[in-house]
Amino acid sequence: MTPEQATCRYFKAFVPAICVYAVGTVGITWLGSRSLVPSAVLYMLALVPVVAIFLAFWAHWRFATEVDEFLRLIQIKGTLFGIACVMIVASGWGTLETLADAPNLPVFWLLPIFWVAQSAATAIISKREGVF
Amino acid sequence: MKNRLKALRAERGWSQSVLGDHLDVSRQTINAIEAGRYDPSLPLAFKIARLFGRVIEEIFEDDVCADD
Repeated sequence: MTPEQATCRYFKAFVPAICVYAVGTVGITWLGSRSLVPSAVLYMLALVPVVAIFLAFWAHWRFATEVDEFLRLIQIKGTLFGIACVMIVASGWGTLETLADAPNLPVFWLLPIFWVAQSAATAIISKREGVF
Repeated sequence: MKNRLKALRAERGWSQSVLGDHLDVSRQTINAIEAGRYDPSLPLAFKIARLFGRVIEEIFEDDVCADD
């Protein structure tokens, strides 16, 4: 499989999953803030973005296994950077919340932080390695 | 790691894309190996050696040996 084909397959799965995640998250937040549905239903609906997140990571995993070893290494480096950012923010901010009464940072933001950091790192590494 | 991949490819008149097709890797990977930015895995190095009918040492130069 060529990188272009793998990329095409990746976006065909990733983009819909992220769209479902975004719409689901906004929709559930809206429903929850207006108390339009019972809590039990809200919990059930909250599974929709969770499944979407799973699909997004599955698409990423599949992409990393479909490209060749050099391109896979770039993906792994980008992913490690994303994980590092999430861990630094989570543990750093957590310490501030515990010790310095910093305002609460909802864990909801960890996933967007991961994707932004991972995407930026992968783009920078790809550029540096002459991929594009 | 230095290598003779570019010279061997040129001998056959292949582009990076054509060599990539032969090895089932991307053009970007061939470019990175030729530029010395990426050292291929052992299976890929064997594949490259087989394709050009050489042993690995004839294509890839061990930096440690080169320093000696």
